[in-house]
Amino acid sequence: MFSRSARRGIFDVRCSSIPIWTRQAQCLLHQGSTGSQFQATPHEIPPQSATSSAASPSSSPSSASLERLSSRPQRHGVLANETTTTSSALDFVPQTRNHVPLNKQPVKPVFTHPLTLTKSLVSMLPHLTSQPPHYISAHLHARPYLLTAGDHLRLPFLMPNMNAGDVLRFNRASVIGSRDFTLKGTPYIDERMFECRVRVLGVDAEPLRIKEKTKRRQRHVRRVKSKHKYTLMRVMDVKVKTVEELLEEGAHVIEDGAEGCEHSSKVETKD
Amino acid sequence: MPIQGIRSVTKGRNGVGAFILQCKRLDFHYCDWAGSSRGMLSFLQHYLPSFAKANPQIEIRVSPRPNKHPVVKGHYVNGREKVICVRKLEKEQILQKANLLKEASGEKLKRTKKPVTSLNESVRGIWSPYHGDIKTV
Repeated sequence: MFSRSARRGIFDVRCSSIPIWTRQAQCLLHQGSTGSQFQATPHEIPPQSATSSAASPSSSPSSASLERLSSRPQRHGVLANETTTTSSALDFVPQTRNHVPLNKQPVKPVFTHPLTLTKSLVSMLPHLTSQPPHYISAHLHARPYLLTAGDHLRLPFLMPNMNAGDVLRFNRASVIGSRDFTLKGTPYIDERMFECRVRVLGVDAEPLRIKEKTKRRQRHVRRVKSKHKYTLMRVMDVKVKTVEELLEEGAHVIEDGAEGCEHSSKVETKD
Repeated sequence: MPIQGIRSVTKGRNGVGAFILQCKRLDFHYCDWAGSSRGMLSFLQHYLPSFAKANPQIEIRVSPRPNKHPVVKGHYVNGREKVICVRKLEKEQILQKANLLKEASGEKLKRTKKPVTSLNESVRGIWSPYHGDIKTV
């Protein structure tokens, strides 16, 4: 059995036996994995740039409930530039997702069928799109969150591998509505019909909870402590795409009675 | 639809347009003599340069605090500060604590039950019995 000092001595020896460059690389890798690279969003980059790129039919969303839409390509571009300039130097600029292997990167969404709109939906959708503000009932891990633009969302769990400043797109919604009109999904609205983006603000914790556990006829009281962490988010925009945008992206218009229309969404008016 | 007047008061909502990290400064205090600062000293040597480089928007101060335990202190945009004592912690644990302070919002920890907090008015309005059609039961 080792004493603590002996173990520490072994640890030190092991650390010091590693050459300097590998140790530095380790540090930097560790830094890259946990110490996240935060980049403040400059004012001049509107979220619509990401919107337009994501909204193109070539990059259509997947069945996953989240699509990571932060400025990854830009960051990678930046990284490429920097490594070419300072490839010989040992000073390394850590990046967030650089260590993630290619097969674990977020999957680009693939759709087999184009979006189909019924004629009644095409006739009713302009009423909804032209009446801001909108609300959305976005589903995440089978829980609905009723959101409007600018809301603060504190998820009831800690979302892993998130950094402050990341932008997510919620792509599962059951209801989108305005004051007088509601677009209902059966059970979910097609994710190509709307856009809902949230930005990760950081991580919050609850106050320490102490639960006192007792046994009978014993004076001993066990105190169980727990302190959960939660992810904080801010809803950036809630947007319903107009009919023109949907048709540009390759949506098909079908008759009301045609097959396949039972899966399409419907716009309802308020009573 | 009711007539909406121009709202004069703007509300600060970080992250809707631009995003600003709430942690603005991190202070690292250490003691040269005491053994509880050993992990802190190696953190300052090995991890702090890359941490500071990865977070250019956070001001980082390192200062001695003799005859006291090592401490990491975070200062936030809302004026509050969070202090974590890192006595006898290894350098990786201290890095975790620094990341915790970096991602925190600076608010006092509260237990909330509702996930969504909204400053907006209700989108669909408040129901009124005097408007709309006559309801038949």
